[in-house]
Amino acid sequence: MIATRSVSGSSQSPRSPSSQPYLSVSVTDPVKLGNGVQAYISYRVITKTNLPEYQGPEKIVIRRYSDFVWLHDRLFEKYKGIFIPPLPEKSAVEKFRFSAEFIEMRRQALDIFVNRIALHHELQQSEDLRTFLQADEETMERLRSQETGIFKKKPTDFMQIFKDVQSKVSDVVLGKEKPVEESNPEYEKLKHYIFELENHLAEAQKHAYRLVKRHRELGQSLSDFGKAVKLLGACEGNSLGKAFSELGTKSETLSVKLQKEAHQLLMNFEEPLKDYVRAVQSIKATIAERANAFRRQCELAETTKLKEINLNKLTLMRSDKVGEAEIEYQELKVESEEATRMFEMIVRLMNEEIVRFQEQKTLDMGIAFHEFAKGQARLANGIANAWRSLIPKLEACSSS
Amino acid sequence: MEQQRSISGSSQSPRSPSSQPYLSVSVTDPVKLGNGVQAYISYRVITKTNLPEYQGPEKIVIRRYSDFVWLHDHLFEKYKGIFIPPLPEKSAVEKFRFSSEFIEMRCQALDTFVNRIASHHELQQSEDLRTFLQADEETMERLMSQETGIFKRKPADLMQIFKDVQSRVSDVVLGKEKPVEESNPEYEKLKHYIFELENHLAEAQKHAYRLVKRHRELGQSLSDFGKAVKLLGACEGNSLGKVFSDLGTKSETLSDKLQKEAHQLLMNFEEPLKDYVRSVQSIKATIAERANAFRRQCELAETIKLKEINLNRLILIRSDKVGEAEFEYNQLKAESEEATRMFEKIMRLMNEEIVRFQEQKTLDMGIAFHEFAKGQARLANGIATAWRSLLPKLEACSSS
Repeated sequence: MIATRSVSGSSQSPRSPSSQPYLSVSVTDPVKLGNGVQAYISYRVITKTNLPEYQGPEKIVIRRYSDFVWLHDRLFEKYKGIFIPPLPEKSAVEKFRFSAEFIEMRRQALDIFVNRIALHHELQQSEDLRTFLQADEETMERLRSQETGIFKKKPTDFMQIFKDVQSKVSDVVLGKEKPVEESNPEYEKLKHYIFELENHLAEAQKHAYRLVKRHRELGQSLSDFGKAVKLLGACEGNSLGKAFSELGTKSETLSVKLQKEAHQLLMNFEEPLKDYVRAVQSIKATIAERANAFRRQCELAETTKLKEINLNKLTLMRSDKVGEAEIEYQELKVESEEATRMFEMIVRLMNEEIVRFQEQKTLDMGIAFHEFAKGQARLANGIANAWRSLIPKLEACSSS
Repeated sequence: MEQQRSISGSSQSPRSPSSQPYLSVSVTDPVKLGNGVQAYISYRVITKTNLPEYQGPEKIVIRRYSDFVWLHDHLFEKYKGIFIPPLPEKSAVEKFRFSSEFIEMRCQALDTFVNRIASHHELQQSEDLRTFLQADEETMERLMSQETGIFKRKPADLMQIFKDVQSRVSDVVLGKEKPVEESNPEYEKLKHYIFELENHLAEAQKHAYRLVKRHRELGQSLSDFGKAVKLLGACEGNSLGKVFSDLGTKSETLSDKLQKEAHQLLMNFEEPLKDYVRSVQSIKATIAERANAFRRQCELAETIKLKEINLNRLILIRSDKVGEAEFEYNQLKAESEEATRMFEKIMRLMNEEIVRFQEQKTLDMGIAFHEFAKGQARLANGIATAWRSLLPKLEACSSS
């Protein structure tokens, strides 16, 4: 199923090697390394490409979760305005960390993560991506350990901006109590949609998780029931006993089916929902970045105006500080223009990103629902057949 | 289903009125009467018969639970050796008492109870049955209030015998520590089978109840999931939104189905299992009665031996107490023969009853399993169809 969802350039090499440019990545072979609290999972990252910026047609490197985090954080810093593909969560629960189910889910999510970057027309050109896909393990470790300060910050919600020390100082200096916000009705609608979406997704995901749990519980209950009925059958011994045993065995078989389906539901439906939730959180982070950029633009515009007023005052007074003030004014003007450009770039990028996000999400969720409905139909059919196969035997028993 | 299970003479009137003797009873129309703690349920008991001992072809009376208990206790006292059909339990939980599900289940169980008596070749001739089916309500109430002492006792398990004061006194007088038991290998096997059966049945019934509960929980979970997904759909608004809504609605529909099935499982399967458990407890009560009768027979045999020795002694010494002693001896001899007859009758009846019980149980449980398997197949089929109906819409959505 993952093969259909990750729409790489092409997952097979094209007929003539250098005809179509392609970049195909896969994250495979999770292996547990290290001991005790130091233990971690390493993944094999295989890159197949004909792009000139890359070293050769195929490269294999070993990466761990924190390397993926490094890549994510650098992209987030450098490509403001773009919705950086989300990472799967760091696991909080120790003993769950190395369960086969968790490792497989994480591997899939990391594979999707890298592939989304490789498919994004802007992000795929990132130097950090190339480093991630090709650098040897020592280089990667050195880069990873250099990360401090700014890259550790994760501005995932609006409150983060307000708590920023720098902005508090600026606000006091500029005599502002409230932070500045865009007044753009279209954008307001988008923000409102994103926040509402996040709530509803979280609800749907919670209930999807519970649904999986209930399937498992029903499966377990059927199994217990089957065992109890079989014991009853052994005790009876006659044709009634045989009927009990058949019923018991059938219940146990169906129990196994139900437990498998619970697992499938998990992989095929709950996980896409969680992915959707993460994507929305990534968008919220970008919304925060846009607000940052907007505020910076406003602050610089204000400061520049003040500096201009001051410069004119000094010029009139023929002060000897005019030269210095003029240099400061020019510098600020450049910064202000840069901040405006940055903000406008983010706005433009976000508009494109929203469209891309909607299309991709419709596709992903459509597939997820399709698999879910198919899985349910398949399971129900199997269950119906199993029970029906029992009926002739029971009819024989009740009429004898 | 009740029609098949109660093997009355015939549930419809025969072609010529007085050809086949028939006795057909039904318990219907539960109605809540009274208020607060005095509240109770009354049932309509309709008797259709052509038997001469009964007044007319049809009679309708109003009865309550305690009237059924009266009938049960009287039959238990008078027909030792016969497995008296079991009653549904008196409810321990006050507010549960009048849930419509509980009332329906109790009404069915009471109907089964009376019909089993009416179909039993010995019990159907009971005068107490005729009283129960025909006496007016005031007469019934008067009979009920006369009940004291012996009929309030319910010897439901073996321990009851041992605790009986009279037997303890006899044991001390006869210098016995342990109560006397039959040493009959066939009977031992039967007792062992009954006790083992009771345990396994209780287990199976516990798990059947849990199975019903899990179906309900899964149904509820599907409903919550459906609602959450619909909210998500309303938030999205486009074709993705429509897909969410369809999925949500489908989930809610299936939730309904599952909840209904849980109820059906309850009525059609868990209840027969509970009925089986009650029957086994009724058999245990009869086992206790048989042990009582055996012990009484042994005690009297012992006492007679002692009396005979005493009598012979008195004759030898030509005491003037000979006449009195001889009189007592003959009385005891008559009692002893009566006790032996009673015990042998119980033994004979029990042997017939065991065969009848096995046959009836095989039939009842066979039907119950049949209904269970059919119900499960039907439900699973409905679910499969519902999910499949969703697939074309989802396919259209994911390819667009």
